Amino acid sequence: MFFYNLRLARQSLAKQPLLTALMVAAIAVGVGVCMTVTAYLYSISGDPIPNKSDQLFAVRLDGWAGDEPFNDDEPEQAPWQLTHRDAMALLESDVPVRQAAMRKAVYTAVPDNADIAPFLTISRMTANDFFPMFEVPFEFGGPWDDRYDQSAGNVVVLSKKTNDTLFGGENSVGRQVRFGDERFTVAGVLAEWAPKVLFYDVNNGPLNPVEDVFMPYQITAEREVDGSGNTNCWKDERIDTYWDLLQSECIYVQFWAELPDEQSVQRYQAWLDAYTDGQRDLGRFERPNNNQLNTVTDYLKIRQVVGDDELAVWSIAILFLVACLVNTIGLILARFIAKAPVIGLRRALGASRWAIFRQHLVEVGLIGFVGGLFGIGLSYAGLLGLRKLLPDTAALTSLDLTLVLMTVVVAIVAAILAGLYPTWRVCRLQPAMYLKTQ
Amino acid sequence: MEIGPILSAMWRNRTGSVLVALQIALTLAIVVNSSFLAYERTEFIGRPSGIDEKNIVTITSLGFGSDYDHDATIDADLALLRSLPGVVAATASGHVPMSGSGSATGYRASMEDGAPMENGNYFEFDEQADEALGVNIIEGRGFLPTEIRRSDDPNSERMPEQAIITKALADKLYPDLSTAVGQRLFNNVGESAEIIGVVEHMFGSWVHWQNIEQVVWWPVRRSPPSTYYIIRTQPGQRDSVLTQIEPLLSASNRTRIIRNPQTLEHTIKRNYEGDSAMATVLTIAIGLLMMITGLGIVGLASFTVRQRTKQIGTRRAIGARKRDIIRYFLTENWLMTTIGLVLGTVLTYTLNFQLSQLFDTSRLDPWYLIAGMLALWLLGFLAVSGPARRASLISPAIATRNV
Amino acid sequence: MLRMSKVSRIYRTELIETHALRVLSLNVDAGEFVAVTGPSGSGKTTFLNIAGLLETATNGEYHLDGSDVSRLSDDQRSRIRNEKIGFIFQSFNLIPDLNVFDNVDVPLRYRGFNAKERADRIEHALKQVGLHARMRHLPAQLSGGQQQRVAIARALAGQPAFLLADEPTGNLDSLMARQVMDLLEGINRDGTTIVMVTHDPELARRAHRTVHLLDGQLANPDPFSPPADRAPAAMSTVA
Repeated sequence: MFFYNLRLARQSLAKQPLLTALMVAAIAVGVGVCMTVTAYLYSISGDPIPNKSDQLFAVRLDGWAGDEPFNDDEPEQAPWQLTHRDAMALLESDVPVRQAAMRKAVYTAVPDNADIAPFLTISRMTANDFFPMFEVPFEFGGPWDDRYDQSAGNVVVLSKKTNDTLFGGENSVGRQVRFGDERFTVAGVLAEWAPKVLFYDVNNGPLNPVEDVFMPYQITAEREVDGSGNTNCWKDERIDTYWDLLQSECIYVQFWAELPDEQSVQRYQAWLDAYTDGQRDLGRFERPNNNQLNTVTDYLKIRQVVGDDELAVWSIAILFLVACLVNTIGLILARFIAKAPVIGLRRALGASRWAIFRQHLVEVGLIGFVGGLFGIGLSYAGLLGLRKLLPDTAALTSLDLTLVLMTVVVAIVAAILAGLYPTWRVCRLQPAMYLKTQ
Repeated sequence: MEIGPILSAMWRNRTGSVLVALQIALTLAIVVNSSFLAYERTEFIGRPSGIDEKNIVTITSLGFGSDYDHDATIDADLALLRSLPGVVAATASGHVPMSGSGSATGYRASMEDGAPMENGNYFEFDEQADEALGVNIIEGRGFLPTEIRRSDDPNSERMPEQAIITKALADKLYPDLSTAVGQRLFNNVGESAEIIGVVEHMFGSWVHWQNIEQVVWWPVRRSPPSTYYIIRTQPGQRDSVLTQIEPLLSASNRTRIIRNPQTLEHTIKRNYEGDSAMATVLTIAIGLLMMITGLGIVGLASFTVRQRTKQIGTRRAIGARKRDIIRYFLTENWLMTTIGLVLGTVLTYTLNFQLSQLFDTSRLDPWYLIAGMLALWLLGFLAVSGPARRASLISPAIATRNV
Repeated sequence: MLRMSKVSRIYRTELIETHALRVLSLNVDAGEFVAVTGPSGSGKTTFLNIAGLLETATNGEYHLDGSDVSRLSDDQRSRIRNEKIGFIFQSFNLIPDLNVFDNVDVPLRYRGFNAKERADRIEHALKQVGLHARMRHLPAQLSGGQQQRVAIARALAGQPAFLLADEPTGNLDSLMARQVMDLLEGINRDGTTIVMVTHDPELARRAHRTVHLLDGQLANPDPFSPPADRAPAAMSTVA
């Protein structure tokens, strides 16, 4: 019966091509616009590390000014970053199975090969735990040894791109690279790694690319490396030297901990609270304890990686789809009422209401399906347009299979929703009324 | 006009009428709110920055290695840049305005308790800064070449002697004074500098920062190893200067990297990307929705005309003129549109209220509603006029035909 | 075969009540060919709608093929229409988008036959009406008489208990009308009960007996029904 109904639907739609085109266009445009925005949000809001996002925690301590919260609009939020002092103290905890304090710095890579011009690299100053913690894939070698974290040794992990530039993509483990004035030994080379969102440091834009090189955090303190990224300070204190900065209440360090289960989360929370209590006794931490552990997804939510603007546009896009559906309901109703005589005849010949209902549901479903196919095209065009408008997110936005299927399903469901009322109406038609021509 | 019969005909076909009205209402709500949001963004992007955006290029120099001499490099670079034909002025700078990168801190007018602290976005500039940005110093004077502190100065960690601030910051810090020139500007630990000039207006680093107009200039060079150059050109010379500077600077000195030659216009555009994307997406959505709604009305009206062929023929047979038929359909559509617009007004404000609650958008300017209503009346009129004209062409002879 | 007792049908609107049928009682035996006549407004159409289970009576009982059908659900009525009743309309009511084969197929689809069974029945029915060769034609490509014969084939294909014909020749010229009537008579001779509503006395005369409706009632409650001399051997071809 389904294929019979499908054939009837095809014939019926082909019979009034203009009206059919209007209905398909309304569905396609509605779904196209809605799915373009949805696909964009889906791309930037997806869980960047689904395997363990609930075991990775951004660690935040609230050591901000006693008389003023870090963020006036959301006073319950602890500051985004840590001071260097606190980050170093937190590294003493043995609760997390892995942890890393980190910040960004800018280095000039000076290739030994004079044919390659020196170039600028963004370096993530971090710990060797960073790599296994965030499941970073290696092409060659691996993370540096623990002792380099302690001693601020000159070791580096190169991104694939940096290794391609410096060594033509060869295995460079053990070789030397000059950054600025110093020489570093390559410990490892990453394979292609591009998380959807730079979740571990969204301070300078969540959609920035992954850093070019990775080095031990301790180098920054030992060699007085100027960090890049955000630094926020609240305290009236003199900062003349690098040492002043390290000892200041200025925050510029990101800190992540891996806590595999609920029990360790609680233990770590207690550990942090005990730490800040102790610091309060020393005259720091003027505010009550507000030490926060946020999973990756919570953290991205708090940091509003998907902001109000995006959500406002999304809600308008959904309303847009609704408006297109109302439009479609009107057209389908008109179309079905025009078919009333034939429907009456089918009823007279023994079609039950249910049979008529199914037949017309198949018809609107077909409209939805065709609309969905065009909708995919429109969403694709829409995303291409968005890539032009927002080059930063270009790499993220794509129509994957999930989205393509979702587009068709949304279109069919939308069309069926739109068709439900008209279909119900035609089922209620009294068959006798349409059999006489007079 | 025969409003009564039209209304009763609409009542008999109330589902269809309700659907048209509902669609008009939704379209109004979406179109008005979207155009309001889109226009707000466009206005936001179009705010005057005070800077001669169109004629400025910027470039970065980043030194490396032990041979690099920061001050000597900047001296040579500035001499080179300022000698280029078409260049009006050039300044070494710690940051580029409206680039998203910069520094800010709190400033006060005095160190007395309770003296308010204001945020100031500070830039390291030299004596050509006003010329290089194309901004006006309306009170006092600009920096003198001798006042610019070099990076090798032993006092480089201390606050400089002089500062220039924007009028917006001056008005906040010294609201009771006729001019801020001659006043002292304090930082959070009590160091101070003399204000020697006031800039009429300029934007700082972050286009979404609420204090974007509160800017402080320091007569210092950025600490090694990097610096920006801001270069203002004569009108029409920008693009040729842009293509020259990178190879010239790169060739002049091998102890640094020259990066990112860029027009300021491009940098600003990148910083407003989210806003302009939002405005564009909303504008496209408005256009598409108007199109869909218009075509929907055309489709429904054509359908109605076809359904009523016999009735229309009968009307014609008993003496209705063509224009009476046209008027009938126009009136019917006008009524449905108007009902939709009344409903739509409620919906528009509901949506605006919800959006403002959920996403912190601003409250609607009623003129947008009025403009939206006029647009939809016009759209309804245009959409129905075709089918109405076709209806008027139906032959009166239809009446006697037994279809 | 068809037994109505004291059937009435009242249409109510806000302002008026219309008594379309008033206490109508009628029996039609298997194998009969009955004409129902009457002027317009006499209740012919209402009778037809009730007899064809397109509407339900306000009061009274209706037995069809031995079972009470007066108070069935919409679905049950659909099923009986599909299996036991064959409709023939004045304006043929073929579906213009479907070809002859598919038009005859429509009721069989709702019956749930498999493809082979349907094809057999369609071919058989079309052979009966002599349009076997035109299976792939669209209704618009056929003459009025041919279209009505397709409609008859559609009515026959389900092998119904009886045929319900509404002015079957009303839209046809006299030659075609005669062909159609000959066909109906032949079908009746083969055993199918036919109830035909018409206002044409000429046509009515070709039936075994005529029932005259006036103001929703039988005008001649016929004590002699059915006339014995013209009754065929009582038989039913219904499965």
